[in-house]
Amino acid sequence: MSISYGAYAGKVLKIDLTSQTVSDYPVGDEDLKLFLGGKILAARILNDFIKGPLDPLGEENVMVVSSGPLNATGCPSSSRFNVSAVSPLTGLLTSSNCGGSFGCTLKRAGIDALVITGKSPYWVYIDIDADGVKFKDAESLRGKGTSETQEAIGGKGSKLVIGPAGEHLVRYACAVSDERAAGRGGIGAVMGSKNLKAVVVTGRKNPAVYDAEKLRKIKAKWTKRLKSHPLTGEQLPRLGTAALIASMQQKRLLATKNFTDGRFSGYASISGEELAEKFLVRNKGCISCPIRCARVVEVDGKPVKGPEVEIMGLMGANILNDDLGQIIKWNYEMDELGMDTISASGTIAFAMELNEKGMWDSGLEFGKTDNISDVLKEIAFRSSERGDKLAQGSRKLSEEFGGEDFCIQVKGMELSAYEPRGAVGQGLGYSVANRGGCHLNAGYEVVVEGLGLTINPYTVHGKAEIAVMFQNLMEAVSAGGNCLFTTYAFFPFFLFKRPNSMLSKTVNKALPYLGGPLHVINKYPHLAHIHLTSMLPHTKALSAATGMKITMGDLMRIGARGFNLERTINARLGISAKDDKLPKRLTDCEQVPGDPRTKVPQAKLKKNFYFARGWDSDGMVKPKTAKYYSIDALDDIGARPVSGAEHVVVK
Amino acid sequence: MVTVEFFGLYRLNYHMKSIEVEASTVKELFQKIYEVNPFYTVKELKHSIVIVNDVNFNDLKKYRTPLKDGDRVLIMSPASGG
Ligand code: SF4
Repeated sequence: MSISYGAYAGKVLKIDLTSQTVSDYPVGDEDLKLFLGGKILAARILNDFIKGPLDPLGEENVMVVSSGPLNATGCPSSSRFNVSAVSPLTGLLTSSNCGGSFGCTLKRAGIDALVITGKSPYWVYIDIDADGVKFKDAESLRGKGTSETQEAIGGKGSKLVIGPAGEHLVRYACAVSDERAAGRGGIGAVMGSKNLKAVVVTGRKNPAVYDAEKLRKIKAKWTKRLKSHPLTGEQLPRLGTAALIASMQQKRLLATKNFTDGRFSGYASISGEELAEKFLVRNKGCISCPIRCARVVEVDGKPVKGPEVEIMGLMGANILNDDLGQIIKWNYEMDELGMDTISASGTIAFAMELNEKGMWDSGLEFGKTDNISDVLKEIAFRSSERGDKLAQGSRKLSEEFGGEDFCIQVKGMELSAYEPRGAVGQGLGYSVANRGGCHLNAGYEVVVEGLGLTINPYTVHGKAEIAVMFQNLMEAVSAGGNCLFTTYAFFPFFLFKRPNSMLSKTVNKALPYLGGPLHVINKYPHLAHIHLTSMLPHTKALSAATGMKITMGDLMRIGARGFNLERTINARLGISAKDDKLPKRLTDCEQVPGDPRTKVPQAKLKKNFYFARGWDSDGMVKPKTAKYYSIDALDDIGARPVSGAEHVVVK
Repeated sequence: MVTVEFFGLYRLNYHMKSIEVEASTVKELFQKIYEVNPFYTVKELKHSIVIVNDVNFNDLKKYRTPLKDGDRVLIMSPASGG
């Protein structure tokens, strides 16, 4: 097997921590054509290893770090790489996307992906450079925060590290590269369970692309489009993702008091505008990103990464806190401790409600903020009984103390800050997303249900078809190595610049009724044999970079293949329709008392979704769907003959 | 008095967070805002997302939406979502 496509480095390495050996994992052209890269290629590789339920914190769990073909090509916003494994939080496949430099450098070191197996007998970090792979003692790095660890390792390489939370197996610990996190699903704990404190990679050679001149022209036009679009050229650079808070409040989408409400009286103090006016030092971007949505703020006089909309909602409205300064500080602390801000915040809010209801006295109370920093440390180090319990995530807390109906998680993963009773399509997405209650894997339908476009947020019409389309598109874009925000430029300018025009109003009214045509495109994506060059230049860029012929239909098909493959793997891990469910608070209780529209009609939405996906009534991928996406008879890549050079393990 | 709060890029560009004005319709309100802060052109205001007491003015009488003492209006520059 070999890789001949452009833009790929041409090698996937398997590193076994138990035996400290390195070998080729013989991924070939056909795999890349079908599974592209990033999270989808990772699912393809993990398909070889996950045969049934396994202990996510056991030696048998396998972690795949994968780049996408557009990483290190200089395409706009294309530094995003992926880390996948079985999640200690959900027990299912998780894929975590990260904007740090690690993915690009991995490619420059001549490697497309790492397959990390086994468990080291002592704390190590892996150091990969032109000389080979070294396993270095990491004892001296233990207990260090994520930036401290990167500084202590030093050198010019890119790092992927864990903090104390990962070392102590906090089920929602993250891995960090530079200051960007592979946040969701507990990847940090998987690394911790393998006694792996960090992976360092050094490389300088950009991979050759198929048609450099063509790609150069595409990049120039693409960057121009992103810079001129109202969302990616103005809103995200100026206000970051936090721009959404005011709209979320307005549309009853701002999760408040552990999702008892969609509006928070103190929202103005935790808005993106407040962040920009009072705290912003400058904006910043991942490598090669013209959008630069990241915020730089100060904590104790030091410039640090600023908060995103999710934590501003979850550590603001959702715990009844209107002090943005505190949120900024906690955000920094969680990044340093190495834990996912969304799951940590959601777990804390749930504990607050348990306490309010007299079910578990953790000392956490809505509106009380003076003990949060201590609690975060206790979680990361598991240094107290409450920290130890909170480190398990909200689902485990509900198993011990009750409160399942208001435990705001799906499949064990805490929901993001978007209250789905104000956007039922988003509610559907949360309930069926492969990695659990993740707003992005859900399809991020809330973007058209109030935060951008304003289609009817309460109707079930078209919602399943839109969710499927968005999921497929986002899966594929992410697998290519691009940031999902590049898909925002898909929406025509007028919808944002002229929201009160007749045309905008008509589009918003009509979209839910386009479920039929969307269904046909979702079902037979190969029919979409087109490029939407100005709106989604991804297809042309991928084609020029790799030499594959990728149309819109191909892109959607790759995305759908990834989504279905992840579902198939999750089914092996025990998932079925019974698990695709929101907590009862969101499906059975009206957000606005007396308004029956304001709860998620889950059964109907799920039925439509399964139909749109080609799944059976128990949520299983039907054989003919698996066949259509060529995932019905996958071989074991690892069992293929390996050719090529021996790998150097430097002791 | 009608209380008007601003969100989005116009707020950053024109440095206006909130004001209180007398106005009997949204149309009149736009004119008053322009008089107070001429950076805010009426054209820009027309393309803003305008919320009167929690309801989008498109679902009311748009520019003719009546305003009364104590009403709260939210003006968000377009593309305040995303
Ligand atoms: S838009 Fe933001 S998250 Fe995406 S690549 Fe750019 S800076 Fe990173």
